[in-house]
Amino acid sequence: MTTTAAITIEGVSRSFGSKLALDDVDVTVFPGEIHALLGPNGAGKTTLIRVIVGSVKPTKGSVAVMGVPWSDLSKPSSRTLFGLVAASDRSAYHRLSGLENLMFFGRLYGLSKREARRRALEVLAQVGLEDAANVRTGVYSHGMQKRLTMARAMLMEPPVLLVDEATHDLDPAGARRVREMLRRAADQGAAILWATQRVDEIRDTADSVTVLDRGRVKFTGTVDLLARSFDRHRYRLELATPVDPDSFNGSSLASRLEPLAHSDGYLLTLPDGVSLGQAIIALSQDGLDVTACRLERSDVEDAFLELTTEVDR
Amino acid sequence: MKQPEVVTEARKLPAFFRRDLLTALSYRTAFVLDWGNLLVQLFLFSLIGRLVDPATLEGTGSSSYIEFTAVGIALAGFMQLAMGRATASVREEQLMGTLESVLLTPTRPITFTLGSVTYDLIYIPIRTVIFLTIASVIFDLGFTAAGIAGVMVILFSFIPFVWGLGMVAAGLTLTIRKASVIGGLVGLGLTLGSNTYFPIEVLPAWLQPIARANPLTVSLDAARLVLTGEGWGPVWSAVQPILPLAVVALALGVVVLHLSLARERSKGTLGQY
Repeated sequence: MTTTAAITIEGVSRSFGSKLALDDVDVTVFPGEIHALLGPNGAGKTTLIRVIVGSVKPTKGSVAVMGVPWSDLSKPSSRTLFGLVAASDRSAYHRLSGLENLMFFGRLYGLSKREARRRALEVLAQVGLEDAANVRTGVYSHGMQKRLTMARAMLMEPPVLLVDEATHDLDPAGARRVREMLRRAADQGAAILWATQRVDEIRDTADSVTVLDRGRVKFTGTVDLLARSFDRHRYRLELATPVDPDSFNGSSLASRLEPLAHSDGYLLTLPDGVSLGQAIIALSQDGLDVTACRLERSDVEDAFLELTTEVDR
Repeated sequence: MKQPEVVTEARKLPAFFRRDLLTALSYRTAFVLDWGNLLVQLFLFSLIGRLVDPATLEGTGSSSYIEFTAVGIALAGFMQLAMGRATASVREEQLMGTLESVLLTPTRPITFTLGSVTYDLIYIPIRTVIFLTIASVIFDLGFTAAGIAGVMVILFSFIPFVWGLGMVAAGLTLTIRKASVIGGLVGLGLTLGSNTYFPIEVLPAWLQPIARANPLTVSLDAARLVLTGEGWGPVWSAVQPILPLAVVALALGVVVLHLSLARERSKGTLGQY
């Protein structure tokens, strides 16, 4: 990974009327990196992407893509710096084939007809749509349309890819295919900012993550760091005899046991300052025989919920 | 060597043409219906023509009402279609979700609006000529083949005016969304305030001076004369007043479109529909 950032966002705010959609947001993405922009609906992810592509003007702060400042991003000469995979499927001409769609956009990027056709066929093959190249996109499945959008974003091999909710309504196989395409693009040196609300998929795909909630950055770092930052020391226990935690006194550690839904085990979250050894001794004193114990790793999802639901708790 | 930007942008127009040609070919029924509509209009006006005394058309260059109105249908149809397409194309792109994708390419907004009507600006004059030819054959109108070239020159001088108004309407559509009705109303106003379907003398006295200055009236007057063998004189006398108006309409269109885009970017509503 080089040290020169592909996307630099510093102190960006944007309001729509009285609503503050982005509040002092900082994000940095490097070439070859998949940076997840994780947040619930209304967190400001799409607004931030629209700021980066020059469609929305920031109220304050600075944005630069490959060193080009925001004021110059809407200039035609800057348009090859990024490819956008929009959240919506409605971004292709449905009466035209996938090939014709991509050729049209290739021509708008200044390619000759022959070059546009060659490049369109190349990216269609990359996203696995070569067999559907001459089929009208109106009859493409949801996943095929999403892949076509990916193909269009990659048409000019931009150094930056902005991906807005690319997998949120795809089936698992389709979502995995999109993630694999993103990984390949990153491996080839593209900087990818990937807005998503699917917590489960960032662990194995993203290199780093910014958690956004109500327009504010709640966390920035690696996915592992996000998970570890909110490790609540949870353990999965198995007992010799099933027990009802509610039958214990509230001050007893046994009352903190949470029966697992799909197994005979229990989940125990240790209070601050209590070690696992102390906990097992305390449970034993309450008459519980612990037969197995293992660390229940704090999930990224826990961290995400911790960060984004604090007002509701 | 780097090409001048105007060349780079002009090279994109065939892509728009191809896109819209393929789209039009995919809607075969609409294509047939358009021609059906034209022919029904022609039939309707031929019936109305039986009620109109040809003497009222004296000085218009037309010897019958159907001859008079066939030219009107052709040119007014050209204007309304071209203007309607300029707004409809922006609206369609908004609704299809392709507007933002197109504007994210290194394509100037002015290229986008011209590109969006390129197919129509080529197809509609051809449609006009075919229509006039069919009308001439069916109703034995006194049009001359040599007059068709004159009509084409008039049409092409008229295009920048229509395109300018189309850009104004497109800019308004970007901002007001469902503003395509404004383009339709402007087209309807220009058509009614002209000699498309009846001589200007039929209009209220206060409207007649305005109707005479209407570029559509100027074009129609010249087209009727040139089609009936009056030579190229009427063509030049029509082109001269239309060109300054075309420059004003184009300048206004560019300003409105750029202001609309700047406003939408500032508000963050460019992709909304």
